[in-house]
Amino acid sequence: MLEYYFPNEAAEPLLWHPVLFAYTLLVSGADLLILAALAYLSGSLRKAIPLMTMLGIGFFAVVLAGPLADLRSPHKAPLIFTHPHLAPTPTNPGISLTAFQATAWLIALILSIIFALLTFSYYSHQASLTSVGLRKSLYQAFSLGVTSAEKYGAVEKVAKAVAVLMLPFLTLWGVYPATLFIMQTWNPAWRSWALLPVTYFADTFVVATALFMLVYFIWRYGGLERDVVVPVLKIHAAGSLSVAALTGLQMAIWWTWSPATAEMVKPLIPLMYVVIGLLLLSFFLSLVAIRYQATIPAVSLVAMAGTFTNKWNIIVNAQLISKTGLAFFEAELGGGWLLETAAPLALGVAVFVLLSILFPLEVRESGK
Amino acid sequence: MVETTRRGFLGIVSALAVLPALSAAPDMREGKRYAMLIEVDKCYGCMACVIACAAENNVPLGSFRTWIEHLVKPDGTRVFIPKQCNHCDDPPCVPPCPTGATYKTADGLVLVNDELCIGCGACVKGCPYGARYINPVKGVADKCTFCDHRLRAGLLPACVEACPTGARVFGPLHEDNELSKIVRSRPVQVLKPHTGAEPQIYYTSLPDEVNR
Repeated sequence: MLEYYFPNEAAEPLLWHPVLFAYTLLVSGADLLILAALAYLSGSLRKAIPLMTMLGIGFFAVVLAGPLADLRSPHKAPLIFTHPHLAPTPTNPGISLTAFQATAWLIALILSIIFALLTFSYYSHQASLTSVGLRKSLYQAFSLGVTSAEKYGAVEKVAKAVAVLMLPFLTLWGVYPATLFIMQTWNPAWRSWALLPVTYFADTFVVATALFMLVYFIWRYGGLERDVVVPVLKIHAAGSLSVAALTGLQMAIWWTWSPATAEMVKPLIPLMYVVIGLLLLSFFLSLVAIRYQATIPAVSLVAMAGTFTNKWNIIVNAQLISKTGLAFFEAELGGGWLLETAAPLALGVAVFVLLSILFPLEVRESGK
Repeated sequence: MVETTRRGFLGIVSALAVLPALSAAPDMREGKRYAMLIEVDKCYGCMACVIACAAENNVPLGSFRTWIEHLVKPDGTRVFIPKQCNHCDDPPCVPPCPTGATYKTADGLVLVNDELCIGCGACVKGCPYGARYINPVKGVADKCTFCDHRLRAGLLPACVEACPTGARVFGPLHEDNELSKIVRSRPVQVLKPHTGAEPQIYYTSLPDEVNR
């Protein structure tokens, strides 16, 4: 019998904790901003843009809170911005994807805020006409002096340019950290997960649309507008079906790749079946919800359960496969990991609530 | 009083003797390419290297800068394979570092600057050999340094000095020494050559099973 002992690998604990799992869910903020930018550029889904933008900024602004919580020396985190490894040198060859994405985050966030201020300027003016007290003052301040449709016409051109500029940075975030897992780690499961970036991208759209629909349902309960709900449901259905299909395809690739690969990824397979099942259910529920909108919360909750499961499998379970691919370890999670994981999400919700107070989420046409 | 003075004098003499060596060390090392050779058939798993390393480098309990893997072949033969950071020529752990804390020196060592390391673990995940860990005391990435501090003082790495069978051979690769002679004259292997990392720990008599 052949035996092989790898003491160092067996001693390697779970390095990246589930708080990163919250982080990857917050990446959905980037996808909401992508949807908002695309909607703005194409002139469709106009009524959904304010909610998408503010929900997107709320989540995207706190996206680094998760990894910050996972750093072993968090007090040195600013070094990522003051000392980024962005260019190869003889002593530091290569480029750090983490440093690159951190810089991209800063640029994308600034552009998103500019986009929001510009697009909300006229909405804020319109809302200020019917508001009173502090809220009226806030709306007047955020109108930036854009008090007529003519002025807004000029602002719109700038906003469209900013929307175009935002897209590449936000798209990079949509596939991060899947790109990091594949390109800059030697975890055998991640390295062999060829469809991970595209699955991740589709998956963040599923979370983004599920989140949007849930918030929209709660906010506009009883007054849902079909021209907002139906396109988002269609995007959600396409995303859910894509992730389910990509997950199934990845399983097939592993099985046909080599017996050793099929053996190595065995611990990931049960949850992949769950992901496929939940996302297919979400797909069918989305089709039902197009006709019966009362089922929207079910669509969102089932999709979120599917994406939580997917992220857990990708981040936590895949990490538990040893670097040789020969062993699968048990996760040893410290007490309070659930609260720690939920905290960055709660922070994102808090930022969104604050933004929803500062800016009007209702789009009103002039004079209405 | 006399004792103190003598001690002080000896201290000054020692410092004067060591200082030129320390200041000259970087120049003397310029252009060298340090490497290590491990003769697997000479290792009998005594762990002297592991303990010497831990003592020399204050390695925390439960972590290892060097360790010994243990293979039992189908015929019952036991093979011990010492492992550590490979100080790769193209180190996969360096690009992921977001602050440049992990770096390569001119003489081929891969080191960590504790002041810059934020403890993100990207390098730990980036190393194909499992040679890095997060130091729980310092909150930074940690690994073998080839005993850089000892090299500066003209000494060998602690693990090499401690090995009772001479299974570990250390030195500059492109100079005329025991290491380069063996590397040139005998078949040598490296760990996980498929990674393209160009590791600088060479092995003789390495079983094929190790690189599965």
